[in-house]
Amino acid sequence: MSSNREPLPNLETNGNIPFPRRHFLWHSGGGLGAIALAWMLNRDRLHASTSDSRSAIAPHFAPKAKRVVQVFCAGGVSHLDTFDYKPDLEKMDGKSLEGKGENLGFFGQPGRLMKSVYGFKQHGKSGAWVSDLLPKLSECVDDVCFIKSMVAKSNNHTPAAFQMNSGFTLNGFPCMGSWLSYGLGTENENLPAFVVLPDPRGLPAGGSINWTSGFLPANHQGVAFRTQSNEPVPDLQTPKHVTASARMADMQLLAAMNREFADGHPGDSAFGARLRSYELAAQMQTSIPEATDLSMETAATQQMYGLDEPANKGFARNCLTARRLLERGVRFVQILNGGSFGSPRINWDGHENVKENHDTQALTMDKPVAALIQDLKQRGMFEDTLFVWTTEFGRSPTTQGIGAPGRDHHPTAFTCFLAGAGVKKGMEYGSSDEIGYFAAENKVTIPDFHATILNLLGLDHEKLTFYHNGINRRLTDVHGQVIQGILS
Amino acid sequence: MPKCLVEHHSAEWSFGSFDLKGNQKNPTMLVKIPPSAVYAVIAILFCDFVSKANAQVDFARDIIPIFQTHCYECHGPEKQKSGYRLDVREIALKGGDNGEAAIVPNLSAKSPLFRFVRGEDEESLMPPKDSGKPRLNSDELAKIKEWLDNGAIWPDSLSGQKRQASTHWSLQPIKIPILQGGSENPVDVFVRAKLLESSLAASPEADRRTLIRRISFDLVGLPPSPEEVEAFVSDRSSNAYENLVDRLLASSHYGERWGRHWLDIARYTESQGFEYDRLRDNAWHYRDYVIKSFNEDKPYDQFMREQIAGDVLEPVTRDGIVATSLLVCGPWDQAGNGQSNKTQRAITREDELEDMIGVVGQSFLGLTINCARCHAHKFDPIPHDEYYRIKSVFEGVKHGERSIATAEETMARNQRQKGLEREIDIASHIVSSIESDGAEQALAKRPKGPTELGPIPFAKWTFDGTPIEVMPGELKDGAVVRKLDNEHGVLQLPKEGAFFKTAKLTKDIREKTLEAWVSLASLEQGGGAAISIETGNGRVFDAIVFGEQHPKKWMSGSEGFARTKPFDAPEETANTKSFVHVAIVYASDNSIAMFRNGEPYGKPYTPKTPLQTFAAGDAHVLLGYRHTGGGRAWLTGEIKQAALYDRALSHAEIAKSYRAGGASVTRAESLASLSPDQAGRHAAALAELQRNKKLLSELPKPPVSYAGVRVQPPNTMRLKRGDVNSPDEEVTPGGLSAVFEIEHDFGLKADSPEKDRRLKFAEWLSDARNPLPARVMANRVWHLHFGQGLVGTPNDFGMSGDRPSHPELLDWLAAKLIESGWSVKALHKLIVLSATYRQGAAFNASAASVDSDNRLLWRYAPHRLEAEAVRDAILVASGQLNTVGGGPSFRPFTTTEFNATFYTPIDRPEAEFNRRTVYRINVNSGKDPLLDSFDCPDPSVKTPRRGVTTTPLQALELMNNSFIQRQANHLAERAMRSAKNEIGRGIEAAYQMTIGRKPNDQELKRAMLVAKERGLVSVCWALFNSTEFIYVQ
Repeated sequence: MSSNREPLPNLETNGNIPFPRRHFLWHSGGGLGAIALAWMLNRDRLHASTSDSRSAIAPHFAPKAKRVVQVFCAGGVSHLDTFDYKPDLEKMDGKSLEGKGENLGFFGQPGRLMKSVYGFKQHGKSGAWVSDLLPKLSECVDDVCFIKSMVAKSNNHTPAAFQMNSGFTLNGFPCMGSWLSYGLGTENENLPAFVVLPDPRGLPAGGSINWTSGFLPANHQGVAFRTQSNEPVPDLQTPKHVTASARMADMQLLAAMNREFADGHPGDSAFGARLRSYELAAQMQTSIPEATDLSMETAATQQMYGLDEPANKGFARNCLTARRLLERGVRFVQILNGGSFGSPRINWDGHENVKENHDTQALTMDKPVAALIQDLKQRGMFEDTLFVWTTEFGRSPTTQGIGAPGRDHHPTAFTCFLAGAGVKKGMEYGSSDEIGYFAAENKVTIPDFHATILNLLGLDHEKLTFYHNGINRRLTDVHGQVIQGILS
Repeated sequence: MPKCLVEHHSAEWSFGSFDLKGNQKNPTMLVKIPPSAVYAVIAILFCDFVSKANAQVDFARDIIPIFQTHCYECHGPEKQKSGYRLDVREIALKGGDNGEAAIVPNLSAKSPLFRFVRGEDEESLMPPKDSGKPRLNSDELAKIKEWLDNGAIWPDSLSGQKRQASTHWSLQPIKIPILQGGSENPVDVFVRAKLLESSLAASPEADRRTLIRRISFDLVGLPPSPEEVEAFVSDRSSNAYENLVDRLLASSHYGERWGRHWLDIARYTESQGFEYDRLRDNAWHYRDYVIKSFNEDKPYDQFMREQIAGDVLEPVTRDGIVATSLLVCGPWDQAGNGQSNKTQRAITREDELEDMIGVVGQSFLGLTINCARCHAHKFDPIPHDEYYRIKSVFEGVKHGERSIATAEETMARNQRQKGLEREIDIASHIVSSIESDGAEQALAKRPKGPTELGPIPFAKWTFDGTPIEVMPGELKDGAVVRKLDNEHGVLQLPKEGAFFKTAKLTKDIREKTLEAWVSLASLEQGGGAAISIETGNGRVFDAIVFGEQHPKKWMSGSEGFARTKPFDAPEETANTKSFVHVAIVYASDNSIAMFRNGEPYGKPYTPKTPLQTFAAGDAHVLLGYRHTGGGRAWLTGEIKQAALYDRALSHAEIAKSYRAGGASVTRAESLASLSPDQAGRHAAALAELQRNKKLLSELPKPPVSYAGVRVQPPNTMRLKRGDVNSPDEEVTPGGLSAVFEIEHDFGLKADSPEKDRRLKFAEWLSDARNPLPARVMANRVWHLHFGQGLVGTPNDFGMSGDRPSHPELLDWLAAKLIESGWSVKALHKLIVLSATYRQGAAFNASAASVDSDNRLLWRYAPHRLEAEAVRDAILVASGQLNTVGGGPSFRPFTTTEFNATFYTPIDRPEAEFNRRTVYRINVNSGKDPLLDSFDCPDPSVKTPRRGVTTTPLQALELMNNSFIQRQANHLAERAMRSAKNEIGRGIEAAYQMTIGRKPNDQELKRAMLVAKERGLVSVCWALFNSTEFIYVQ
């Protein structure tokens, strides 16, 4: 899975000084190697832990999954029109909503109850109900575990997206991918540990805010790949006017200068780390284009993902790229489905007409995501890869405005699903009430959801901490309970 | 005052020798305690003595321990289940959420507290069975009973209202230790003492070349020029170094360097963050204020006061107003503030206030007060209610732009504006009355026609086939013209998405009337507009909207409902086949009135936001569409006719227009029928009108800044568990009791004026007896000079933060800061003139084996340049730095508007983009890959210390970023110019311009080979990539 390379010096003996590890992890300006070697920690490491509560030493126990791929559907997918079948809602279609308290919508114009705009059928051996909107994902139900009792804190897009990604509804908190990069490092240092594949149709609102490392060191930031570009990462390629041979010679000059400097300053291992960073940079220049080159894939694979279909080829490329990145040891790949909230919307925010909106969005999402699940499965990657499908929140059982065919945001019940390493198959966990308004049974908060993902990766969510301005911060804040019921 | 403070505290006195729970270890030491410091302590001791003397069961001795063991976990400082707590007398007595008194003095049998702990029934037993806590034993029960029956005496000192003073180090008064060391710099005395304890010694002084590079980056963030280096190296005078320090501190670049440090702490951003991430065009005033304050060496206590309350500190100045931007220069959730769910909106606001309290507490006090929002602080002595008392201080501060003109400037401008508006109204009235006379005259000349005509519109849209003259338009996305007969037609909008869009306005429109004849396809629809006037990007608009906020009602739509209020009129009932005449009048006095079928529709109102100007060449009109980019924005139905008037019509005129069915003569027709006299008066009035409009448009806009707006807030309530739906008792504005030397109650009422709260807080904060600000700031300055602080957690001087490595040194620096009149520049000098600062950076294996972190300062630790310094140093070396300071930020990206703002970074060669990096606009989602790779922090994060990482992506940026390529070229040209095109000297110059030294023979030889083969630019590229360049030693 990783390329042949010289073994890197062990952290414990790197340089001439034994460093207390916590200083690598959270002291930034400590001088010496602490300054510069932080990235080196960003590798697969299974070191003995220290007693310092501030440091995050991981994994805490044997992991079931080594890496994660997360599909995030921006805008808020209607649980009622996809995975959460509500026969009672059909009966109550057109009636007024009663007895559910303060209206939870964003726009505050609740209309009448509206049954799903799609038909539902049972699928697979598990008999899971899925709407006709998602014919391909319907075929995957026996491989996945639905959580139908998800609850979000906010009914507002960006805070809800932040919460799903970082556990907090505010700007500036590290994303799950950053936490995993920080906690587990990378398996392949020739690729970033945390890669984001934005929807080619446009960035989500807030753009790069959505994959920030927050207060974690910048090396844990998500790296957004522009998979439609021939330069997936900015400044990856040597400028056109510089020939390869000239660059090679220049790199030799630079290496000589930096080596002399490092040799002239023995003990400061930061300077050695700089030398190494250039070697890795040179390797990335070939490893990233290689990892994102889909021409290596067979025609059958390309077709399975739908690369030949105009409606979804951009997103399909990202799903296939994700598989290639996972194969090469990227720790966390996030695939965004849907971008921002302009007009017309390119996400799942079906305020005006949920059917029209979801028809369009599902056309891009259904087939490639189903293909990714099947592909991971058939290649045996589910042995150690976790697949996660998420959105911001659900959509209201009532229409938005009387007689209108749209649904407003709805945070108190929605559906997500997981598949792969360590997760039960063909299962449904939790449920919403008779009309999908509140989570009813086995409510799952986002901290619970995150705690479970960390658990699958061998991380105790209460121990994966980083000190920042007075608090040992966690992905799960002060909440979160592992959902034991879905672990295989 | 500072002197007085310092003199009172003798070196041997230590507050730490007291256990403030009442067990003094050495009572004789009481006499040494300065009276001001420990009233609270004495009071506690006194009460304890009294109670011990008079009662058998002593509350402090016997009862508190029981509460601590059995109750506090759920009913104490951290948690208050059912709103009940036993650490605060008032609540302990009065009871929790159920409203029943929990303690009835003298009657244990009637006290629910006793019933619960005794466990009369298992259901209500306390502590509950499943809590895992032991139930009270018989001895404990007996004590409780006796205490209750003897009147439940609970001394004032332990009431929980007056909190006990903390013994935590940072909260103790600053004291100057006694110094020994003669004329030596005290910094070195303190540092040496600690080194000696570990048998270590400082390193010898760094050479001059190293020193000038170090001090230049440190104080001004820029490298020294080769000439400056050579001059310093050869300066034989004894005060050469001090002169250098003075010169750098006097440079305007100093403020740019240290201002940037402060902006990190202030989480300064120039965009909203969250969903829209819109640019804040006018946030930069704060950046300039900070830079200026550092350059002027503004006393730090004043700097603090201004950032809390500068807008209300007399005399109010522009700087003072701008300073308060600190409170609001972080992210802001516009969508969250505008949404309709009340709970979620309240949470958004509470989050905003937490951010504000967080930045104030961490920046100035080094305390994470924000951690006490949901419960008492877990580590520090900050009770839950004090979070809310401080919240009450800032409760009136909201996000937004405000004028930064002084009251006089504003008044003068307003008078001028009102005068011009009056002139315009008069001239406009003359013009329209002559035109309507002309219209009458034109009508009289016609053979036959309608008996009545409406006023003359600026532009009118009909669909009967007659050409549209002023602003033609086009049918969009399904809109069609339906012919009624040969002469008549209507605009048909059969489905959502269909609308009619006109050409751009041909003149600026301010006061105006919008008018349309509409037939609605359904009365159930909502959000669409009959007619809308909007800016080119759709961000600002005024529109006649149907059913958006209230079903079936018309309203005046505007962006974010900025100028919208309900007209308070009945629901629309018109038959969907019939046409309704609707008109909204936007008058120059900012009033907005609506009319339906010629009659007033509800009540007019005046919005808070001013009348907008829609600019010629930019704005346009939409029929059937609320505004570009809006959700649920389409109207379905038909529009027979619509018009835009460039003035406010009267009720009579509108009624006339309604009765005339929109018929009017054209302006041209009217003017053609004027008499020469009329025409002359018309031309004169028109000229006057145009002249005044021009003057009005040229009136300079009042300067605004993103300094936040102020409102008089409702009284603040403590929120149980931080839950917006669980308000508890009302609180009054106050400070922290943990700062025990100063009264933390401000003596203000819960409804006191907003400004008084902040003034009091500013006073409390900057009181020289408050030991935190001086310690915190002294540590920041130290931290930024040495790469690590005496306290390693600059924003956290609480229990979970670091302990100081050199406590006496920190106190000495803090005292000196106060003593100097809070001069930060004086503090710099104290530090950088020390031998500790001037020592060499060489590694020493044996010292490292004792103190690997260099906390004891056995050397000056090398450190990497920050992102800004890397970029600025490259620009200095290449000779391209544009030293223009201040003003709007440069914007190295393109923006795309799609409901939200998106930023795409671009690299531009123009001089504007070569300004210092501190002038780069600091937006949340518009990150620059080069700066990003050098750990430029997420602007929304309060960053007291930056991360330092070395990554392959960083290497890629230095290798390939087009900025680096271009500057390497500039450097090569510059070096060759200075070397008169002699390659060897060119290489020497490039070395000196980047790393401040000449190459040695071997380096020169190697570089010559490269330069001859591939040009000097290759050497320059390598220098920019070299470790020696991006590290300071």
